[in-house]
Amino acid sequence: MKSAVTTVVSAADAAGRFPSMSDFESVKGSFDRAKARLEAAEKLASCLDKFTNLAVDAVYQNGSYEQANKDKCVRDIHHYLRLINYCLVTGGTGPLDEWGISGMREIIRIQLLPTTAYIEAFIFIRDEIKLNDVMSQQAETEFKGLLDYLINALA
Amino acid sequence: MLDAFSRKVVIADAKGSAIGSEDLADIRKYVADANKRIDATLAITQNVSCIASDAIAGMVCENTGLTQPGGHCYPTRRMAACLRDGEIILRYVSYALLAGDASVLEDRCLNGLKETYLALGVPTSNAIRAVEIMKVATVAIMTETNTGRKMFNGINSGSGAQCQDIAAEAASYFDLVIEALS
Repeated sequence: MKSAVTTVVSAADAAGRFPSMSDFESVKGSFDRAKARLEAAEKLASCLDKFTNLAVDAVYQNGSYEQANKDKCVRDIHHYLRLINYCLVTGGTGPLDEWGISGMREIIRIQLLPTTAYIEAFIFIRDEIKLNDVMSQQAETEFKGLLDYLINALA
Repeated sequence: MLDAFSRKVVIADAKGSAIGSEDLADIRKYVADANKRIDATLAITQNVSCIASDAIAGMVCENTGLTQPGGHCYPTRRMAACLRDGEIILRYVSYALLAGDASVLEDRCLNGLKETYLALGVPTSNAIRAVEIMKVATVAIMTETNTGRKMFNGINSGSGAQCQDIAAEAASYFDLVIEALS
């Protein structure tokens, strides 16, 4: 799975060479950001259910979507946030790409679920929930970066 | 291929749960020890030819028949192949050490290695001996307990004495190689 270290090792292996100084630099660079990432992952894991319910309630409140789909939406939002938690741990978008984005839009469509509801829910988490209360500024930046990535992929 | 981070992800995904505080402790340790890990990997990459050639030479010294006509390291072409393989094994150990996970070593180096050696007529007992010497040499260099010149160049963490844990981890990767060949 793609992460900061495996990318470097794959490239070195393809060339048949030992890890070089620039490889070490790039690995170290990713570790410098790791503290904020891991904090975001930890806080997200503890607030996963809360964020999911807040977002889905807000989206389904105004009645523009069929209430029957709400449970499925909760399930999927929960799934996506879990994948974001994984991405925060690995430091790359590998888990989202491999397990969340490829083919997922088609699956949402085939179940006749509105993708816009998902997008609205993630935008709600990004903009409306006061993330500062639970995590630091840097952790929030890392989390929001991945939310943006997912929103763009679903749009 | 996995690393210390993605290993956690694969385990958590199998359970369908998010990665919480408990699971993050190991990863935090990995990040905190990153400098030592890089130094330990450097201890391998800067001394590759020394570690490999010493190990092969040691193996031959213990069994001088290898370089005699009819021996497995005769003629020099086969001796050269032996040195090359020593370096390849060290390369994959250095990848595994950097990643903090053995999957790259297992998938790309050890999988089928024994079968290949059997098919080529390489005596695995001698190969194992060479890997054992490489293990001892690598650990000695990483912990700065080798005799002779200083071979550890701690650019990040300072001293080899601090690399004990990482050296033990490196030794475990060599053990995997030995296990795969046994």
